[in-house]
Amino acid sequence: MHVLLIEDDTEAARFLLKGLRESGYTVEHVADGRDGLFRATEGRFDLIVTDRMLPHVDGLAIIERMRAAGIGTPVLVLSALGSVDDRIRGLKAGGDDYLTKPFAFAELAARIEALLRRPNAPHTTRLKVEDLEFDLLSRRVTRGGRELELTARELKLLEFLMRRAGQVVTRTMLLEGVWDLHFDPQSNLIDVHISRLRQAIDRGTEHPLIHTVRGSGYVLRSENS
Amino acid sequence: MRLDLFNTTAFRLSVGYTLLVTLAVAVTLGSAYLLTESLITDEVDLIIDTELKSLQEKFARSGVPGVTDEINLRIDSWGRIGAVYMLADANYERIAGNVTHWPFDGMPTEAWPEFEIATIEPGRRAVHPVRAAVRTLPDGDLLLVGTDISQGRRFAEKFRVATLWGIGLSTLAAALAGFWFSYRLARRVGAVTRTCQQILAGELGRRLPVAGSKDEFDALAASVNRVLDRLEDQAGTLRATFDSTAHDLRAPLQRLRARMDALLLRSPALEPQVHESIESALREVDHLQRTLATLLQIALAESGAPLAAPAAVDVGALAAELVELFEPVAATGGLAIDCRQEGAAVVQGNRQLLAQLITNLIENGLKYVPAGGRIEVAVRRLTDGVRLTVSDNGPGIAAADRARATQPFMRFATGGQGEGSGLGLSLVAAIARLHRGRLALESNEPGLKVVLDLPG
Repeated sequence: MHVLLIEDDTEAARFLLKGLRESGYTVEHVADGRDGLFRATEGRFDLIVTDRMLPHVDGLAIIERMRAAGIGTPVLVLSALGSVDDRIRGLKAGGDDYLTKPFAFAELAARIEALLRRPNAPHTTRLKVEDLEFDLLSRRVTRGGRELELTARELKLLEFLMRRAGQVVTRTMLLEGVWDLHFDPQSNLIDVHISRLRQAIDRGTEHPLIHTVRGSGYVLRSENS
Repeated sequence: MRLDLFNTTAFRLSVGYTLLVTLAVAVTLGSAYLLTESLITDEVDLIIDTELKSLQEKFARSGVPGVTDEINLRIDSWGRIGAVYMLADANYERIAGNVTHWPFDGMPTEAWPEFEIATIEPGRRAVHPVRAAVRTLPDGDLLLVGTDISQGRRFAEKFRVATLWGIGLSTLAAALAGFWFSYRLARRVGAVTRTCQQILAGELGRRLPVAGSKDEFDALAASVNRVLDRLEDQAGTLRATFDSTAHDLRAPLQRLRARMDALLLRSPALEPQVHESIESALREVDHLQRTLATLLQIALAESGAPLAAPAAVDVGALAAELVELFEPVAATGGLAIDCRQEGAAVVQGNRQLLAQLITNLIENGLKYVPAGGRIEVAVRRLTDGVRLTVSDNGPGIAAADRARATQPFMRFATGGQGEGSGLGLSLVAAIARLHRGRLALESNEPGLKVVLDLPG
């Protein structure tokens, strides 16, 4: 997987490069907007990670020109501007995801993975992980053939996890994806919701499907895979 | 908001103006009419009076035969101009004159009685109104002299119709002019109002329309536009300052985090104790980041910059979603939380900021209300907006402290566990202000009740 990193803060870039390379990505780094735009429009990357404020050409301008040139490579915007409307502007400009500095590397890694794996059969009507089945049309969930009683919100949460089966999803990704909330509440809200979902899905089974990833978030996957 | 033409000052003024014009024209034309009518009558009366006097003199000189002769003479020469004469005895029997019988029922009481004479003119019957006067001669005979006033009547009638038309037409003209005037004025003021609303709604680049007519409206619009230019300029400068401040504060935090992350991922793994210290330091970095984000958000809201790109937000649905999100956490802490909301309660605003506001109020409750307590979120529609109420039965805030509670870094002794940044309610107040809402902290007897009225 080829990743283009456009970041003018050399120290931040050094850590990101190291982390991404250790995660198995092939990363190319440029430090200003003009070079970034040039490399991005060559269009041979699987993903672009760009800072928002860059010398010469702004991060959002890079995305706009890329999109105008018909290049659909997913873009993750890193920004030191964290207000709600900055985020909206970033996504409107054509960014696929937006991460406010400072962020944990695990958060970035999870989001990059999510962007690279997308789209995961968006039009499917049935999700299946091991013996857990989710019929998206009737909104019915069965585990080992036994039907589970879930609330509307639990169904949404489970769908989000199942669509990303095998991928780590962070708490903020869940808040954004399931509740459409783009800020961090102080309480451990997500943990409590996950633990309820776990109760419903995994209780009394030999093979739990929802796993906690320390320092990152959660992953739904089968043991054998 | 649509401008209602009938509810404008210009419209009310023009209604008043129309009434005034109608009154003025009515008084002018009406008095001219009355004056003309009395002039005509006075002239008739003078002629009749003169005739009577000369006939009375004739009687004094030569008695009834003299008057009879005189009347016959005058009938011949005056007949064509419609003079009427009659000499009658005390029993109202005709002695002489061109009236066939006494036209009144006895002696008329008024000074200038009027009656009608039917004449047969070539080809048609006509009825002529006659104005007359009667004198009793010394011998008891009665002398009547009158004049055909049909000409004067016709003239007066024409004058009356012309007067009424005059009043009607000038009223119509004044009303049309007034309507046009108020319509034009309402349109120009309406355009200004609409633009101002768009600016308030966040379209900072909008300017008041200048028609180019160089009138007082153009002068006003130009001045207001200059003020708006300056405001937009300042908002831009402010924004740039915020952006660079945010950047300068967040970039070092990012580097700090990155180094700590790198340490945690290092192999061989760190000793558990060191690992734990770094994780705890990371939590502090996160806390710092949240405080910083909140402070920037408050500062941005307080700067007076309008809400960027507001959209329709159903506060009721949002509150219900958030209560559902917090319910498991509240239950874990032994608190009950519920949401009362009826139908859609839509305001123009920023969903994320309003969610943050409700979240802060709920988290405030979670923090301060002891186990066994309850938090209630209620949303209802007002006639001109939406009311959000978040109340609890916790320790509340003392009346004396409530006014200061929304100031940054304000903490109170009551029940707080020392957690939190002390910015929660300040951010609530800032977001409320940004949405042009009215925020009130009240006692829930016992507990805290926060009431927010948002314009619809």
